[in-house]
Amino acid sequence: MLLIRAIVRPEKKDDVLAELSGAGFNAATMVDVVGRGKQKGIKIGGMVYDEIPKILILMVIPDGDKEKVTEIILKTARTGTDGTFGDGKIFVSPVEEAYTISRNSKGL
Amino acid sequence: MKEIMAIVRMKKTGATKKALVAAGVAGFTAIRVLGRGKLITDPRELEACREKLLAMGLDDFSDAGDTEKLVTSFLDGSRFFPRRLFTILAHDDDVPRIIEAITRANQTEYRIGDGTIFVLPVQDAVRVRTRESGEAAIW
Repeated sequence: MLLIRAIVRPEKKDDVLAELSGAGFNAATMVDVVGRGKQKGIKIGGMVYDEIPKILILMVIPDGDKEKVTEIILKTARTGTDGTFGDGKIFVSPVEEAYTISRNSKGL
Repeated sequence: MKEIMAIVRMKKTGATKKALVAAGVAGFTAIRVLGRGKLITDPRELEACREKLLAMGLDDFSDAGDTEKLVTSFLDGSRFFPRRLFTILAHDDDVPRIIEAITRANQTEYRIGDGTIFVLPVQDAVRVRTRESGEAAIW
C-alpha cells in the first residue's frame, strides 16, 4: 500500500477529488495547509507572501494503482496547458498496514 | 520505529486520548481534517443507516424533502465529514497494542465511518531538547 500526499491549489480541489472518485478512488482525507515552494513564495512589490494556502489530500491506495492516481492528479491539478508555478506536488510513501475500525478488519 | 496515522470521529477525540494514555502512549499530534471513506455497496446496510438518519431528522421544524436530500448526500459517498487525524510515533513492539486500543475506543454501533488506521515506517526521529535520535527520541 502507498500513501499519496498531494498538495494542490484550493480551487482545483473539487476537480481533483471528483475525478478520483469517478475513477474508483473515493476514500480521501483533506487538510487546509499553508506553504511555499522553491520559488520562495510570491513577491508582489516589496511584500513577500510565503504562506500560500493549499489543500493537502491524503489517500492510501494499493501498490498497483500508483500510476493511475498520480496521472489523474497531475492531469486535473494543472493550470493552463503547460502548468504554472504553484500547481503543487505529489509525495508517495510506503504504508505497512491499514485497519478499518468499523469492521475491526485489516486491509484497505 | 513506526508512525501510526489514525483518522477518528471528532466526538471520539477524548476517548481516543484516554485510550492512548491507558495504553502507555502519552505523546501524539492531532489535527482537524475532512475525510470520506470507501463506498459502502451493500444495500441492506445502506438502507438501515438511511432509516436511522431519517428518523433522527424528522421533527416539527425540518422539511421531509430537505432531510431526505441531506441523508442521500450523506450516504452516496460524495460528502466530506470532519474527522480528527492522530499521528503517533511508536516503537515497533507497541504498534499492535496501540492499534487495539484505538480500535476499541472508536468502534460504534453504526458500523460505517468509524475511521481507519495506517501504519507507516519512519527512518529517524530527533528530540530537539536533547538531540537524542532514533528509538531514544520516541519516549
